[in-house]
Amino acid sequence: MAYKNFEKRAIMVELFTYPPILKGFIVLILTGFAFPITGVYLLRMNLLPLRFMLMHGAILGGALSLALEVNPFGGTLIVNLLLVLLMTRMSRSLKADPGQLSAFFMVVSISLAFIFIYRFQVPAKDTLSLMWGSLYTLNNIEFIGTLIFSLFLIFFQSIFRHQLRAVFFDADIAKTSGVNEPVFYYAIILITAITVAVAMKLIGALLLDSLLLLPALIASYHAKSYRGMVFWSSFWGGIFASVGFLLSLLLELPASSTIAVFASVVFLILILTKKK
Amino acid sequence: MIKFLTLEHSLVLLHDSQSVFTSDEHWLYPLFELEMFLKESAVPAGEFFLKDKIAGKAAAALIVRLGIRNCFIELLSERAIPIFEQYGVKYAYHQLVEHIQCRTEDLITDKMSMEDTYLFLRKRAGKVQGTTLKINSLIVEIAGKRILDNLNLELERGEQLVVQGENGSGKSTLLRSVLGLNQPLQGSILIGKELVGSMEWRKNRVQTGYLNQETTRNNFPITAAEVVAIGVSGLKISESEREYQVELSMRKTGCFHLHDQLFHQLSGGEKQRVSLARCLCQNARLLLLDEPTSYLDEKGKDELGELLVDLSKNEAPTMLLVSHDSNWTDRLKWHTKILKNGRLW
Repeated sequence: MAYKNFEKRAIMVELFTYPPILKGFIVLILTGFAFPITGVYLLRMNLLPLRFMLMHGAILGGALSLALEVNPFGGTLIVNLLLVLLMTRMSRSLKADPGQLSAFFMVVSISLAFIFIYRFQVPAKDTLSLMWGSLYTLNNIEFIGTLIFSLFLIFFQSIFRHQLRAVFFDADIAKTSGVNEPVFYYAIILITAITVAVAMKLIGALLLDSLLLLPALIASYHAKSYRGMVFWSSFWGGIFASVGFLLSLLLELPASSTIAVFASVVFLILILTKKK
Repeated sequence: MIKFLTLEHSLVLLHDSQSVFTSDEHWLYPLFELEMFLKESAVPAGEFFLKDKIAGKAAAALIVRLGIRNCFIELLSERAIPIFEQYGVKYAYHQLVEHIQCRTEDLITDKMSMEDTYLFLRKRAGKVQGTTLKINSLIVEIAGKRILDNLNLELERGEQLVVQGENGSGKSTLLRSVLGLNQPLQGSILIGKELVGSMEWRKNRVQTGYLNQETTRNNFPITAAEVVAIGVSGLKISESEREYQVELSMRKTGCFHLHDQLFHQLSGGEKQRVSLARCLCQNARLLLLDEPTSYLDEKGKDELGELLVDLSKNEAPTMLLVSHDSNWTDRLKWHTKILKNGRLW
C-alpha cells in the first residue's frame, strides 16, 4: 500500500516534467487567484445573465472560427467582446434591462451558431468541445496571453480598488464622488467578457463557475468588508484551482470537473456549517 | 483703570498682560481668526483679555459667542452695549458712537438668536462650506412627460431649503437634474460659478454630495469606513490622508464607533449618519438629500434631524432636502417650498 502511494507520488512528480501539464498547472494557479475577482464583479453588478450570453457567444465564435479555419480561442474572444459592447451600448442608450438584452443575444448567438454549423458543415462535435475546455492544449501565445491577462486583472483591481468600490456600492454616488462611472462600467464588462472566454478555454463553459462564481459566493458569506470580499474570493479560487488540479492528477480524473466538484463540496460544507 | 492706547493691530489678545494673538485683518475677519486660535488653545476663552479697534453689534455678538469675558474697544457702537450687558461681558472703550458705518450691523435684528446671528455672520464672511445654487427656467421631461416646468430656484451659500410635494411631483427629478443625472430640455443649473454639464463642473463634481433612498437598502458587504471613503474615491491622495479624512468625517457626525461594522447591518439612522460622513469626507459644498427619512423609525428621524441642524450651524453646506414627511421637516425649521405642477411655490 505504502509502495503504491510512493509510486503514485513519483508518477505525479514526473507528470510535471511534461510541458503541457506544467503549463496547465501554472496557468490554472494564476487564473485561480485572479479570475474570482471577476466573480465579485459579476455578483455585484448583477451580471449573471451576461455569463450565459457569453457562453452562447463562445459557441458562435467557435463555429465561426471553425468555418473560417482560424483559431477558435481568438474567434471566441472577438465575438464575446463584440457581444458585450453591443449589449452594454444598447442597455445604456435604450435604458433597457441588461438581463433581458443578454437573453436576447443569447438566443441570437446560438441560432447563428447552428446556422453556421449547418451551412459550412462544421462538425458540431468540434464546436461543442468548447463546452469542456482544454487546459493541456494551450499554445505558447495562449499561455503567455492568459498569464498577462491574469496579472492585468490583479493590477486593475489593486490600482482602481477605490473607484471600483464606489461603482459597486452605488453608481449615482460614484458619479457624485468624482468617479468616471461609465468608463469603469465598460471596463468591468470587457474584463468579464475576456475572463469568461479564457475560463471557457481552460475548464469549459459548463464548469467555469467553479473558478469565477463559487469563490466569490463563498467569500460573500463570510467577508466583513469589500476588501475582504476580494481577498477571500481570490484565496478560495486559488485553493480550488491548485488542490483540484493535484487531486485530478492523483485520482486520474479530468482537471476541470475535479476542480468543480472540489469547489462544490467546499461550498456545500461552508453553507451547511454557516452560523445562522 | 484701563490705559487707552492706539492699537498697533486690528485685534490683540492678551493673557496675563502678554500678547498671545494678533490680527491685522479687517471687518470681522480678526474675530474669525481668533475663533480658530481659541479652538486650539488650552486656556479657556474667559481668561483672556481682548483689545479690538472697532466693534458694533456684529462684533459684540461674535465676542460673546467666542466666550470672551473682558474687552477693550477703541471705537464702540452703542448698539453693541446691550449685547455685552445681556451676556455679562465687561467692556471699556475709547470712543462711543451711535452706530458704526457697517451694513452688517443694520442686518442683525433683535429677533435673531445668538446662534442665528453667528451663522448669519459666518455666511456673510464666506466662512461656510456652502456654495450657491441657481436654477433658471428649468424644463425636464422624462419619457415624454413634463416633470419640471420652467422651474426657478436660488440658494445662497450655506442656505437650507426643504422641498415638499406629493409622490411623483418631481422632487427626485429636481435633485437628479442638479446632480447632472437628468438631461434638461431647457434651462440652466449653476453650482457656484459652474454650469452643470460643463467641463469645469465635471472636474469639480465632488462639490455636490448626495444622500439617496437606495443607499439605505444597499446590502453590499462593505464597512461603514469604506462607505465614508467613497467620498474621496475620485481623489489622488495617500492612504494615510484618506484614513485621516475618513476618521475626521466620522467623528464629526458621531459615527466613528461604527468604523468596522458592516454598513448593511446598521440601523437606518446609523446608515444616514455614515452617509452624511461620506458627504463631509468629499468636502461637499452642496448637499442634496432625497427623502432621507424613508426607512427610518422615530428615533432615527430625531437623530438625523439633530445632525442636520448641527451641520447647518457648523460646516454649513448649502442643503436642498426633498421630502414628503412634513411632520419631520417642520421640526427642522428650515425655509420650505412646495413643488407642484413642475414649479416651486
